[in-house]
Amino acid sequence: MSTPIIEITNLGKLYRLSHRTRPDSLKAYLKGLVGQGGARSLSAESEDFWALRDINLTVDKGQCLALIGKNGSGKSTLLKVISRVTPPSTGCIRVRGKVASLLEVGTGFHHELTGRENIFLNGAMLGCSRAEMQRRFDAIVEFSGVERFLDTPVKHYSSGMYVRLAYSVAAHVDADIMVVDEVLAVGDSEFQQKCFGHLSNLRKRRQSAIFVSHSPDIVRRLATHVAELEGGRLINFSPFA
Amino acid sequence: MVASNQPDNITVIDGRLPSWARYGRDLYAYREVARVLIHRDLIVRFRQAFFGIAWLLFKPLMMMLVISLAFGLISRFESQTAAPYPLVVLCGVIPWYFLSNAIPDGMNSIVSHLHILQKTYFPRIIIPLVAVAINVIEFITAWLLFALACAWYGFIPGWQVAVLPFFLLLAVALGTGLSLWLSMLHARFRDVGNLIPFLISIAFFVTPIGYTLASVPERWRHFFLLNPVAGIVEGIRWSLLGGTFPPPLSALASATAIVLATLVSGLWFFRRNESTIVDMG
Repeated sequence: MSTPIIEITNLGKLYRLSHRTRPDSLKAYLKGLVGQGGARSLSAESEDFWALRDINLTVDKGQCLALIGKNGSGKSTLLKVISRVTPPSTGCIRVRGKVASLLEVGTGFHHELTGRENIFLNGAMLGCSRAEMQRRFDAIVEFSGVERFLDTPVKHYSSGMYVRLAYSVAAHVDADIMVVDEVLAVGDSEFQQKCFGHLSNLRKRRQSAIFVSHSPDIVRRLATHVAELEGGRLINFSPFA
Repeated sequence: MVASNQPDNITVIDGRLPSWARYGRDLYAYREVARVLIHRDLIVRFRQAFFGIAWLLFKPLMMMLVISLAFGLISRFESQTAAPYPLVVLCGVIPWYFLSNAIPDGMNSIVSHLHILQKTYFPRIIIPLVAVAINVIEFITAWLLFALACAWYGFIPGWQVAVLPFFLLLAVALGTGLSLWLSMLHARFRDVGNLIPFLISIAFFVTPIGYTLASVPERWRHFFLLNPVAGIVEGIRWSLLGGTFPPPLSALASATAIVLATLVSGLWFFRRNESTIVDMG
């Protein structure tokens, strides 16, 4: 039996939607505190919204899981929780190994830093030392194809360049799990092919991946398993036939 | 949010607050992020700024000259101190300069890095700590100006200089504690960003920078000491200018207590709230 690399148990994520304008200024907040009703009036008229509810699923080594579902079904929230960007409200996730995440476009790059500096920063965030990154530097640059713009601050990058560089770093840090939000749609078709090639080789390297896609074609080509979310709940989880 | 690297490399992500030990381990595991950010900021400050290190010394020097003129010439203050008056002023200007830059930098750090925090994980506390650390490096460098001024006046500090690091640490701890508080408050209440620079510009006048605590009327002195920067500045003066400034024990005690309370509560407050930064938006 293979060991699960990600085990998600009873995961829930609660957001509190406030229908009254939330006090964004200190003054409004203090006013609310001393006004009638006291602190309680601030949270009045808020509504609980479960972006994720009772999610249970596992991903084994070598598996490539596609998350599908409509907009607002909780796919991106799930990736954010797996990536530790936002904490879960209930349940827990056990992750065996290193996670490399690409959440939306503009993933974790420092706008003012150059491409070169961001490679090292991103590598550090993914748990690689400078020496390790130096060893991988050429491969990353080669894969990304942004060599000419390495010393340009990434704020001047096009969204395509951004994604290419981000994907290249994530692909080269020896992560056990790659978590990819719908970023692949941004690159041109040549780069997309490169990424597909990389993702479909994951199994050989005993790596896993979780990705979001709205394209049935991409899901068919890459996924070994499919999980469908609707209204924050997992409504279908099965091996891809 | 908890994430622990257990022996077999399992990370557990759940909604609980991490223990302090785990929090520390996590911070250590991500030290490379801090290193890259500090390194990069130093390069920008020293390479791209035309005058580099000279510029760093120029700003406190100008501040010292203006204050010496305003307080010294107009109010004839310099006659009351045994050490050269500009040195007295510098002992106040350098820590003031550090705090008045480190605190707003620390405060803004979380909001200005939100776009990164929303996309990747690393211990959030790294962001305000890096903002303060960069100012600490400038703070240390700025004492070069004091050394040059000492050479100019032929002044040699006494044995008390051995205690100087303690006061510098107090200043750094105060800047760190306030940055932790304010960076988190600023993420929640944006008008904190308007309030603090205003408070800092007012605090300048109730901090003994162009004057000394001894020149403050006795009955007002304990009021001044509510401001820990007063104790820090007086402590630095005593350690560098020696005998002319008696060790202000009550000032030291209150400053140390206030600084430690700020730092410890700041750490506590930040750790409690850091996982919600992204959801505060």
